Amino acid sequence: MKITLKCFAFLAKHLPVYAKKNAAEVELQEGTSVNNVIDMFQIDREDAYLVILNGVFVCGEDRDTTLLNEGDTLALWPEVAGG
Amino acid sequence: MIDKTAYRQAMDLSDEQLLHYNAQIMLPEIDVSGQQKLLAAHILIIGVGGLGTVAALYLAAAGTGQLTLADPDQVELTNLQRQISYNYAMQGEAKVNACQKTLNALNPEVSLATIESSLHGELLERTISQADIILDCTDNLKSRFEINKTCFKYAKPLVCGAAIRWEGQLSVFVPADKDSPCYQCFHNPDSRLNQSCSANGVLGPVVGVIGSMQAIEAIKLITGAGELLIGQTLLFDALSLQWQTMQVSPRTGCEICGQRV
Ligand SMILES: [Zn+2]
Repeated sequence: MKITLKCFAFLAKHLPVYAKKNAAEVELQEGTSVNNVIDMFQIDREDAYLVILNGVFVCGEDRDTTLLNEGDTLALWPEVAGG
Repeated sequence: MIDKTAYRQAMDLSDEQLLHYNAQIMLPEIDVSGQQKLLAAHILIIGVGGLGTVAALYLAAAGTGQLTLADPDQVELTNLQRQISYNYAMQGEAKVNACQKTLNALNPEVSLATIESSLHGELLERTISQADIILDCTDNLKSRFEINKTCFKYAKPLVCGAAIRWEGQLSVFVPADKDSPCYQCFHNPDSRLNQSCSANGVLGPVVGVIGSMQAIEAIKLITGAGELLIGQTLLFDALSLQWQTMQVSPRTGCEICGQRV
Protein backbone atom coordinates (compact mmCIF):
# COMPACT_ATOMS: atom_id res chain seq x y z
CA MET A 1 0.00 0.00 0.00
CA LYS A 2 1.02 3.59 -0.48
CA ILE A 3 0.82 6.38 2.07
CA THR A 4 2.06 9.97 2.12
CA LEU A 5 4.71 10.65 4.73
CA LYS A 6 5.31 14.25 5.75
CA CYS A 7 8.17 15.37 7.95
CA PHE A 8 8.53 18.95 9.10
CA ALA A 9 11.30 21.14 10.49
CA PHE A 10 14.54 19.25 11.17
CA LEU A 11 12.79 15.91 10.61
CA ALA A 12 12.57 16.71 6.89
CA LYS A 13 16.05 15.30 6.33
CA HIS A 14 14.71 11.80 7.07
CA LEU A 15 12.43 11.83 4.03
CA PRO A 16 13.45 9.98 0.84
CA VAL A 17 15.48 12.11 -1.57
CA TYR A 18 12.58 12.36 -4.01
CA ALA A 19 10.41 14.14 -1.41
CA LYS A 20 8.91 17.47 -2.41
CA LYS A 21 7.50 20.13 -0.09
CA ASN A 22 8.16 17.95 2.97
CA ALA A 23 6.11 15.06 1.56
CA ALA A 24 6.87 11.74 -0.07
CA GLU A 25 4.73 8.85 -1.20
CA VAL A 26 6.09 5.69 0.40
CA GLU A 27 5.27 2.02 -0.07
CA LEU A 28 4.45 0.04 3.08
CA GLN A 29 3.49 -3.53 3.87
CA GLU A 30 0.06 -4.26 5.31
CA GLY A 31 0.04 -4.13 9.09
CA THR A 32 2.65 -1.38 9.42
CA SER A 33 2.17 0.69 12.56
CA VAL A 34 2.90 4.37 13.09
CA ASN A 35 5.96 3.52 15.18
CA ASN A 36 7.15 1.09 12.49
CA VAL A 37 7.19 3.96 10.01
CA ILE A 38 9.05 6.23 12.42
CA ASP A 39 11.68 3.50 12.96
CA MET A 40 11.85 2.64 9.27
CA PHE A 41 12.93 6.18 8.42
CA GLN A 42 15.45 6.21 11.28
CA ILE A 43 13.72 8.93 13.19
CA ASP A 44 14.25 9.06 16.95
CA ARG A 45 10.80 8.34 18.44
CA GLU A 46 11.21 11.25 20.85
CA ASP A 47 11.99 13.61 17.97
CA ALA A 48 8.71 12.59 16.31
CA TYR A 49 6.95 14.34 19.16
CA LEU A 50 3.70 15.18 17.39
CA VAL A 51 2.31 12.41 15.19
CA ILE A 52 -0.63 13.36 13.00
CA LEU A 53 -2.56 10.76 11.02
CA ASN A 54 -4.96 12.24 8.47
CA GLY A 55 -4.99 15.48 10.46
CA VAL A 56 -5.64 13.87 13.85
CA PHE A 57 -3.14 13.66 16.71
CA VAL A 58 -2.03 10.12 17.64
CA CYS A 59 -0.91 9.89 21.26
CA GLY A 60 2.19 8.00 22.38
CA GLU A 61 0.36 4.93 23.71
CA ASP A 62 -1.45 4.39 20.40
CA ARG A 63 1.53 4.55 18.08
CA ASP A 64 2.27 0.80 18.17
CA THR A 65 -1.34 -0.23 17.65
CA THR A 66 -2.38 2.34 15.06
CA LEU A 67 -1.90 0.73 11.64
CA LEU A 68 -1.56 2.59 8.36
CA ASN A 69 -4.03 2.19 5.53
CA GLU A 70 -3.78 2.85 1.81
CA GLY A 71 -3.99 6.56 1.08
CA ASP A 72 -3.24 7.74 4.63
CA THR A 73 -1.22 10.86 5.31
CA LEU A 74 1.14 10.62 8.24
CA ALA A 75 2.81 13.84 9.40
CA LEU A 76 5.59 14.14 11.96
CA TRP A 77 6.64 17.28 13.82
CA PRO A 78 9.26 17.86 16.48
CA GLU A 79 8.31 19.42 19.80
CA VAL A 80 8.03 23.19 20.01
CA ALA A 81 8.06 24.71 23.49
CA GLY A 82 10.27 27.79 23.33
CA GLY A 83 9.11 31.33 23.45
CA MET B 1 -14.38 56.17 9.26
CA ILE B 2 -17.25 55.20 11.47
CA ASP B 3 -20.11 57.59 11.92
CA LYS B 4 -19.53 58.89 15.43
CA THR B 5 -22.93 60.41 15.95
CA ALA B 6 -24.67 57.18 15.10
CA TYR B 7 -22.93 55.47 17.96
CA ARG B 8 -22.67 58.18 20.53
CA GLN B 9 -25.74 57.55 22.61
CA ALA B 10 -25.32 53.83 22.84
CA MET B 11 -21.89 53.78 24.30
CA ASP B 12 -19.38 55.29 26.60
CA LEU B 13 -16.45 55.63 24.26
CA SER B 14 -14.93 59.09 24.02
CA ASP B 15 -14.31 60.80 20.68
CA GLU B 16 -10.64 60.11 21.11
CA GLN B 17 -11.26 56.43 21.75
CA LEU B 18 -13.50 56.21 18.70
CA LEU B 19 -10.72 57.68 16.61
CA HIS B 20 -7.95 55.67 18.26
CA TYR B 21 -9.65 52.30 17.74
CA ASN B 22 -11.53 53.28 14.59
CA ALA B 23 -9.89 50.67 12.36
CA GLN B 24 -11.06 47.75 14.47
CA ILE B 25 -14.42 49.26 15.49
CA MET B 26 -15.16 49.36 11.75
CA LEU B 27 -15.00 45.58 11.69
CA PRO B 28 -18.59 44.42 12.18
CA GLU B 29 -17.43 41.49 14.31
CA ILE B 30 -15.91 43.92 16.80
CA ASP B 31 -17.91 47.11 16.55
CA VAL B 32 -18.37 49.43 19.53
CA SER B 33 -19.55 46.64 21.78
CA GLY B 34 -16.42 44.61 21.08
CA GLN B 35 -14.24 47.63 21.82
CA GLN B 36 -16.04 48.11 25.12
CA LYS B 37 -15.35 44.49 25.98
CA LEU B 38 -11.68 44.98 25.13
CA LEU B 39 -11.50 48.09 27.30
CA ALA B 40 -12.97 46.09 30.17
CA ALA B 41 -10.75 43.04 29.75
CA HIS B 42 -7.83 41.93 31.89
CA ILE B 43 -5.23 39.79 30.13
CA LEU B 44 -2.31 38.11 31.85
CA ILE B 45 0.83 37.61 29.76
CA ILE B 46 3.20 35.11 31.31
CA GLY B 47 6.64 35.61 29.83
CA VAL B 48 7.56 38.80 27.99
CA GLY B 49 10.15 37.34 25.64
CA GLY B 50 9.78 36.80 21.91
CA LEU B 51 6.11 35.82 22.02
CA GLY B 52 5.00 37.97 24.95
CA THR B 53 6.47 41.26 23.76
CA VAL B 54 4.71 40.94 20.42
CA ALA B 55 1.37 39.87 21.87
CA ALA B 56 1.61 42.65 24.47
CA LEU B 57 2.25 45.33 21.84
CA TYR B 58 -0.80 44.32 19.81
CA LEU B 59 -3.05 43.91 22.83
CA ALA B 60 -2.01 47.29 24.25
CA ALA B 61 -2.49 48.91 20.86
CA ALA B 62 -5.95 47.35 20.61
CA GLY B 63 -7.00 49.02 23.86
CA THR B 64 -7.08 46.10 26.27
CA GLY B 65 -8.20 47.55 29.59
CA GLN B 66 -5.62 45.87 31.77
CA LEU B 67 -2.48 43.91 31.01
CA THR B 68 -0.50 42.08 33.65
CA LEU B 69 3.05 41.21 32.62
CA ALA B 70 5.07 38.56 34.42
CA ASP B 71 8.72 37.68 33.81
CA PRO B 72 11.75 37.26 36.10
CA ASP B 73 14.42 38.26 33.57
CA GLN B 74 16.34 41.37 32.57
CA VAL B 75 16.75 42.66 29.04
CA GLU B 76 19.92 41.33 27.41
CA LEU B 77 21.57 42.16 24.13
CA THR B 78 20.71 38.72 22.71
CA ASN B 79 16.99 39.39 23.33
CA LEU B 80 16.89 42.36 20.99
CA GLN B 81 16.97 40.18 17.85
CA ARG B 82 13.31 39.25 18.45
CA GLN B 83 11.87 40.80 21.63
CA ILE B 84 10.65 43.95 20.02
CA SER B 85 9.23 45.78 23.02
CA TYR B 86 12.84 46.43 24.05
CA ASN B 87 15.53 48.68 22.70
CA TYR B 88 19.26 48.96 22.99
CA ALA B 89 19.16 51.39 25.91
CA MET B 90 16.98 49.05 27.97
CA GLN B 91 19.68 46.41 28.47
CA GLY B 92 19.91 45.44 32.13
CA GLU B 93 16.43 46.65 33.02
CA ALA B 94 13.81 44.26 34.31
CA LYS B 95 11.87 43.06 31.27
CA VAL B 96 8.52 43.77 32.87
CA ASN B 97 9.53 47.38 33.59
CA ALA B 98 11.00 47.92 30.14
CA CYS B 99 7.91 46.39 28.52
CA GLN B 100 5.67 48.53 30.69
CA LYS B 101 7.50 51.67 29.49
CA THR B 102 7.11 50.73 25.85
CA LEU B 103 3.43 49.82 26.21
CA ASN B 104 2.68 52.94 28.19
CA ALA B 105 4.23 55.07 25.46
CA LEU B 106 2.21 53.17 22.85
CA ASN B 107 -1.10 53.44 24.67
CA PRO B 108 -1.26 55.31 28.01
CA GLU B 109 -4.89 54.24 28.37
CA VAL B 110 -3.96 50.65 29.19
CA SER B 111 -3.63 49.86 32.87
CA LEU B 112 -0.40 47.92 33.34
CA ALA B 113 0.63 45.70 36.22
CA THR B 114 3.99 43.96 36.46
CA ILE B 115 5.31 40.96 38.34
CA GLU B 116 9.09 40.60 38.24
CA SER B 117 9.11 36.93 39.06
CA SER B 118 8.48 33.46 37.70
CA LEU B 119 4.90 32.52 38.42
CA HIS B 120 4.53 29.29 40.34
CA GLY B 121 2.35 27.83 43.06
CA GLU B 122 0.26 30.23 45.05
CA LEU B 123 1.41 33.34 43.15
CA LEU B 124 0.51 31.70 39.85
CA GLU B 125 -2.92 30.69 41.18
CA ARG B 126 -3.70 34.15 42.52
CA THR B 127 -2.52 35.89 39.36
CA ILE B 128 -4.44 33.59 37.04
CA SER B 129 -7.61 33.77 39.13
CA GLN B 130 -7.62 37.58 38.77
CA ALA B 131 -7.33 37.66 34.97
CA ASP B 132 -9.93 37.03 32.27
CA ILE B 133 -7.60 35.41 29.76
CA ILE B 134 -4.11 33.98 30.07
CA LEU B 135 -1.41 34.01 27.40
CA ASP B 136 1.28 31.41 27.89
CA CYS B 137 4.39 32.95 26.36
CA THR B 138 6.91 31.04 28.46
CA ASP B 139 9.92 29.14 27.20
CA ASN B 140 9.81 25.92 29.20
CA LEU B 141 7.61 22.87 29.56
CA LYS B 142 7.51 22.89 33.35
CA SER B 143 5.83 26.31 33.40
CA ARG B 144 3.53 25.33 30.55
CA PHE B 145 2.17 22.32 32.43
CA GLU B 146 1.64 24.31 35.61
CA ILE B 147 -0.07 27.18 33.78
CA ASN B 148 -2.33 24.70 31.95
CA LYS B 149 -3.30 22.99 35.19
CA THR B 150 -4.03 26.27 36.96
CA CYS B 151 -6.08 27.67 34.08
CA PHE B 152 -8.27 24.56 34.18
CA LYS B 153 -8.57 24.83 37.97
CA TYR B 154 -9.87 28.40 37.68
CA ALA B 155 -11.70 27.82 34.37
CA LYS B 156 -9.72 30.51 32.53
CA PRO B 157 -9.21 30.46 28.76
CA LEU B 158 -5.58 29.86 27.84
CA VAL B 159 -3.88 30.92 24.62
CA CYS B 160 -0.71 28.94 24.24
CA GLY B 161 2.04 29.94 21.84
CA ALA B 162 5.41 28.34 21.30
CA ALA B 163 8.26 28.84 18.86
CA ILE B 164 11.76 27.54 18.32
CA ARG B 165 14.16 27.52 15.37
CA TRP B 166 11.86 27.91 12.31
CA GLU B 167 8.79 26.34 13.94
CA GLY B 168 5.78 27.65 15.75
CA GLN B 169 2.73 26.26 17.48
CA LEU B 170 -0.55 27.79 18.58
CA SER B 171 -3.39 26.36 20.70
CA VAL B 172 -6.39 27.72 22.55
CA PHE B 173 -7.81 25.87 25.53
CA VAL B 174 -11.19 26.78 26.96
CA PRO B 175 -12.00 24.82 30.13
CA ALA B 176 -15.71 25.64 29.89
CA ASP B 177 -15.92 24.04 26.43
CA LYS B 178 -16.29 20.25 26.61
CA ASP B 179 -14.67 19.87 23.18
CA SER B 180 -11.55 21.65 24.31
CA PRO B 181 -8.56 19.49 25.16
CA CYS B 182 -5.80 20.83 27.40
CA TYR B 183 -2.07 21.20 26.89
CA GLN B 184 -1.39 17.97 28.73
CA CYS B 185 -3.69 15.97 26.42
CA PHE B 186 -0.94 15.96 23.82
CA HIS B 187 2.23 16.94 25.63
CA ASN B 188 4.23 14.60 27.74
CA PRO B 189 5.17 15.91 31.19
CA ASP B 190 8.12 13.50 31.19
CA SER B 191 9.52 14.89 27.96
CA ARG B 192 13.29 15.28 27.97
CA LEU B 193 12.89 18.46 26.05
CA ASN B 194 13.39 21.81 27.59
CA GLN B 195 13.83 24.31 24.86
CA SER B 196 15.03 27.82 25.10
CA CYS B 197 15.36 30.02 22.07
CA SER B 198 18.79 31.17 23.25
CA ALA B 199 20.05 27.58 23.28
CA ASN B 200 18.33 26.36 20.10
CA GLY B 201 18.10 29.48 18.00
CA VAL B 202 14.96 31.06 16.60
CA LEU B 203 14.13 33.42 13.79
CA GLY B 204 12.63 36.68 15.11
CA PRO B 205 9.64 36.85 12.77
CA VAL B 206 8.68 33.26 13.63
CA VAL B 207 8.01 34.22 17.26
CA GLY B 208 6.42 37.40 15.87
CA VAL B 209 3.94 35.38 13.81
CA ILE B 210 2.94 33.18 16.74
CA GLY B 211 2.82 36.07 19.25
CA SER B 212 0.60 37.99 16.82
CA MET B 213 -1.70 35.01 16.48
CA GLN B 214 -1.94 34.74 20.28
CA ALA B 215 -3.11 38.36 20.27
CA ILE B 216 -5.67 37.53 17.56
CA GLU B 217 -7.12 34.65 19.55
CA ALA B 218 -7.20 36.73 22.75
CA ILE B 219 -9.13 39.50 20.96
CA LYS B 220 -11.56 36.91 19.57
CA LEU B 221 -12.04 35.37 23.01
CA ILE B 222 -12.87 38.79 24.46
CA THR B 223 -15.09 40.08 21.69
CA GLY B 224 -16.70 36.79 20.66
CA ALA B 225 -15.68 37.40 17.05
CA GLY B 226 -15.23 34.48 14.69
CA GLU B 227 -14.34 30.93 15.53
CA LEU B 228 -11.73 30.02 18.08
CA LEU B 229 -8.99 27.50 17.56
CA ILE B 230 -10.59 24.95 19.86
CA GLY B 231 -9.80 21.26 19.51
CA GLN B 232 -7.05 22.09 17.07
CA THR B 233 -3.45 23.09 17.20
CA LEU B 234 -1.81 25.04 14.42
CA LEU B 235 1.71 24.08 13.49
CA PHE B 236 3.92 26.37 11.43
CA ASP B 237 7.07 25.44 9.54
CA ALA B 238 8.67 28.66 8.33
CA LEU B 239 11.36 26.92 6.30
CA SER B 240 8.76 25.57 3.89
CA LEU B 241 6.19 28.21 4.86
CA GLN B 242 3.58 25.54 5.54
CA TRP B 243 0.84 25.40 8.15
CA GLN B 244 -0.75 22.23 9.43
CA THR B 245 -3.87 21.87 11.52
CA MET B 246 -3.81 19.06 14.05
CA GLN B 247 -7.08 17.93 15.58
CA VAL B 248 -6.82 17.04 19.25
CA SER B 249 -9.71 15.75 21.33
CA PRO B 250 -9.78 15.82 25.12
CA ARG B 251 -7.83 12.70 26.08
CA THR B 252 -9.80 10.14 28.05
CA GLY B 253 -8.39 9.99 31.53
CA CYS B 254 -6.39 13.23 31.22
CA GLU B 255 -5.62 14.16 34.81
CA ILE B 256 -6.07 17.87 34.06
CA CYS B 257 -9.13 18.17 31.82
CA GLY B 258 -10.70 14.72 32.25
CA GLN B 259 -12.39 15.74 35.48
CA ARG B 260 -14.82 18.21 33.94
CA VAL B 261 -18.49 17.41 34.49
ZN1 LIG C 1 -6.23 17.30 29.03
